[in-house]
Amino acid sequence: MAAKRLPSTGSVAETPKGALHRPTGIHHNFEVAGMVDSTSGLVDRAIFTDEGLYQQELRRVFAPSWLFLGHVDQLKKTGDFFTTFMGEDPIIVSKGKDGEIRAFLNSCRHRGARVCRADYGTTKNFTCTYHGWTYDLEGKLSNVPNVAGYDENFDTADWGLVEVAQIDNYKGLIFATWNPSAPELPDALGGAKYYMDAFLDKDPEGTVVVGGIMKWELDGNWKLAAEQFATDWYHVNMSHASALMVLSPTGKGPKSEIANTPGRQFHDEQGGHGAGFPTHPKSRFDAQKVHEHYDYGFLRERLGDATVEGPMTTGHGTIFPNFSYLPINGSIRIWHPKGPNKMEVWAWTILDKSMSPEVREAQRLYNLRTFGPSGIFESDDGENWSEVQSISNGFVTNSVALNLQMGIGSEREDGVYPGTTSELYSDAAGRNFYRKWAQLMDTPAWHEEPNE
Amino acid sequence: MSENKFVVAQDGDIEDGEAIKIDRAITGADDDIAVFFDNGEYFALNDTCSHATASLSEGWIENGEVECPMHSGRFCLASGEVLSMPASENMRTHRVVLENGDVILYPGVPAGVKA
Repeated sequence: MAAKRLPSTGSVAETPKGALHRPTGIHHNFEVAGMVDSTSGLVDRAIFTDEGLYQQELRRVFAPSWLFLGHVDQLKKTGDFFTTFMGEDPIIVSKGKDGEIRAFLNSCRHRGARVCRADYGTTKNFTCTYHGWTYDLEGKLSNVPNVAGYDENFDTADWGLVEVAQIDNYKGLIFATWNPSAPELPDALGGAKYYMDAFLDKDPEGTVVVGGIMKWELDGNWKLAAEQFATDWYHVNMSHASALMVLSPTGKGPKSEIANTPGRQFHDEQGGHGAGFPTHPKSRFDAQKVHEHYDYGFLRERLGDATVEGPMTTGHGTIFPNFSYLPINGSIRIWHPKGPNKMEVWAWTILDKSMSPEVREAQRLYNLRTFGPSGIFESDDGENWSEVQSISNGFVTNSVALNLQMGIGSEREDGVYPGTTSELYSDAAGRNFYRKWAQLMDTPAWHEEPNE
Repeated sequence: MSENKFVVAQDGDIEDGEAIKIDRAITGADDDIAVFFDNGEYFALNDTCSHATASLSEGWIENGEVECPMHSGRFCLASGEVLSMPASENMRTHRVVLENGDVILYPGVPAGVKA
């Protein structure tokens, strides 16, 4: 599903600029190497609060990276579309007449309004409500009211919707990037694919979206959430004590051997991704009906014993920068950045296609109650992130480094789980997440002039 | 075992909702022992919370339970049973009785067992 760009649409670089050029220094880039010490496991708290760093993140972390858009199941037939964001950029994802999935900047080329205000639907074209410029499903500018008012140099072919540089899907999950020179998606996902397969590849028929997308706003920098899903099992028994207790048969929480389960934590050094999982067979996080639905013998044969005994128990993962998932219950989410102090969470339930409607509904409700906007686990996490953020702007508070030192030196290849792994209770994937973040922040992106 | 008993306090020494800690050096037990007085009754548990490192004698004592002052795990004073995460292991109980105004601790003898 490599991007097919029609002559009518353009990449960012190809848009007409005329005599426009930006003054040098309009975007100030800070060198952040000194704000993340991944060797010692220390992070400068200003990376969560500084407006200048945030703007630089949009340019150098979000713009060059593969970002999650949605699931192929959201686009079934020609004209189906949904809208989302890449960083803070509004995006339309649509299925064209040729069956291709494309992603465009949702901003009219004329005066910049969004050409689609709906969350999702089916359409014939995208018409701007401001002056009426109309674009077809492939992003081509198909109508300009009073086109006779423009001179002979005006060519609609120059004014199609701006299209992403690359779009692809991994087992149903659609990702795109503005970066023409980004590695292809499978390479960018790297070693994380093995861990993603624990939830994306259980069913030979693939996955479907169950229910709609849950969306809510949260005070907190997006990295707080992305980092936690990459690296943090440490919070579980403390933050989620009350939730774990209500869900346990005794009301007093899981048995000790489950509450204190062993496990592993993976991180992808190249990509910045992370995932962790317990290895106790009874550490599971799905509705009973889902558990009964699975033929574990079949899954062992399909994906291997290690997958069934590890990432398929329960766990967490983040695909750098801002896509996270819970492999066993099929909860996926993106942490949309909305300024340094705010994020918007969008969460889906993705389940196996061959599950019966009854099993799907059981898991949809289970996810709603646990990891929905008011879910008993989700609200614990959101409370923590908002708590951390709410005081982060204090001058002294902001000057004191945060600690990600658990498991320093524990990173190794364990011979069972592929790639570099650490203990379940470890900050290894967190240190790697921030190392990758700092590396991107200090590297000129594809859109920067050589010397800028 | 019946010989291994200690008068650890006089009735009235421990206020309601309070506890005292009996050092393991005195009892020879493998942990310090917390002796609680709650709503007219005496109870004794190992002092070190089964979850981390806190002293349960410094915990919040109410309604037949002690809540750990560090991470809020809770235990039943009578049975030692764990009642709340993040703790997940029961606490060991010790027999404690009131006789003629003496609070008598039997280290190593579970509560409910006659010495």
